[in-house]
Amino acid sequence: MNTRLREIAAELAAAPRDFQVELLLEHARDFPPLPDAFQAARDAGLGRIHECQAEVYFFPQVTTESGRQTVHLHADIPGHAPTQRALVGILIDAYDGATPEEVAAIPDDLLRQLGVAALLGPQRQHGFAGVLSRLKHGVAEAAA
Amino acid sequence: MSDAAHPEILVSTDWVAKHLADTDRIRVIESNEDVLLYATGHLHNAVHVDWQTDLQDPDVRDYISQDQFEALCSRLGIRPDTTLVFYGDKSNWWATYAFWTFTMFGHADCRVMDGGRTKWEAEGRTLTTDVPAFESTDYTAQHPEPSIRAFRDDVLAHMNAGGPMVDVRSPAEYIGEISHAPHSPASEPALRAGHIPGASNVPWGRAANADGTFKSRDELEAIYLDEQGLNPSEETITYCRIGERSSHTWFVLRYLLGFDNVRNYDGSWTEWGNLVGAPVEKGVPDNASEIAG
Repeated sequence: MNTRLREIAAELAAAPRDFQVELLLEHARDFPPLPDAFQAARDAGLGRIHECQAEVYFFPQVTTESGRQTVHLHADIPGHAPTQRALVGILIDAYDGATPEEVAAIPDDLLRQLGVAALLGPQRQHGFAGVLSRLKHGVAEAAA
Repeated sequence: MSDAAHPEILVSTDWVAKHLADTDRIRVIESNEDVLLYATGHLHNAVHVDWQTDLQDPDVRDYISQDQFEALCSRLGIRPDTTLVFYGDKSNWWATYAFWTFTMFGHADCRVMDGGRTKWEAEGRTLTTDVPAFESTDYTAQHPEPSIRAFRDDVLAHMNAGGPMVDVRSPAEYIGEISHAPHSPASEPALRAGHIPGASNVPWGRAANADGTFKSRDELEAIYLDEQGLNPSEETITYCRIGERSSHTWFVLRYLLGFDNVRNYDGSWTEWGNLVGAPVEKGVPDNASEIAG
């Protein structure tokens, strides 16, 4: 986990269940809008992650400047899907602007480390594992 | 839908709006795919039941015990004679799943608000974030109906007897294409793709209108009776991937079309597609019209 994700995890993991719900809803509300440049791709169904019940579109990019690679994360989650917006929003918050190596090092049991596994239940954890896997793979491909 | 086989089971958003204050006799229960949705706003006096964290055992792949179910109802202030009204997101997909579960555990008076959250919101009706608290009860379930649940051995026997089954997943899942992308594990993986031999394919959403309500009886009869040739007097089994979408179709067949004996196979494809030796049929059936839509 990078520094920002550790901050988020520390806050979430220490919170009682009701407050975790409030914190997650805050992350969901902070979910950034999809930039116009990606909307045509989203409308064409590109970037769709099929592991989720909710529609999740992910557009990871990597740019290189002065030899340093930077990850840019853009995503869209239409409709009423606060849980996916919260979890994907946390990833964007922590890793937009990070390096590909940082993304590759995101722990696969992130939800357990965030302390929200029990709140979500097993199926939703599997769904999010698909999102995380796609993110890591997409960033690794873009960085190659 | 006034012409449903059991019309009293479906209540309208209007009816619910008029009865929200009647908490002595009625408990409104929201059940969604998304565990945080209730917290963003819900019907006044509605309580939240989550299909995973409230209704499923965290260790064993099964529902909670009868005792835990009774404790849940007690905590929500439900008595055996309380009218329960379920509603939720996704055309009441999860509401019907909770409805099925509560019926199996033995709550007698369960209803569904036609249209669910989608229709309630589309009508501009009020939502609140206030979480109600009701005096707890000492609940005992009166009418358990374990017969509405099919286990894998029931399904095997049913298949061998040529009994009708409805696979409510998407055509791609039914045909046996691998629908998940490379490098991305499916969220509920099955080692084999296809369907249970003899099952017909009617994606669950065909029973729902765009506004979240159920289709009319005529429209439903055209799909399930005329097109698929199902017979309301024949024992029928529904299944999907984990038994939730198929509870929507179970509800349609039992209450809207009046099927006498319909069971939901909650083990569904994540069990069948992983069972050693379980027969699997792939591809389009002889009657290709069965997968239309």
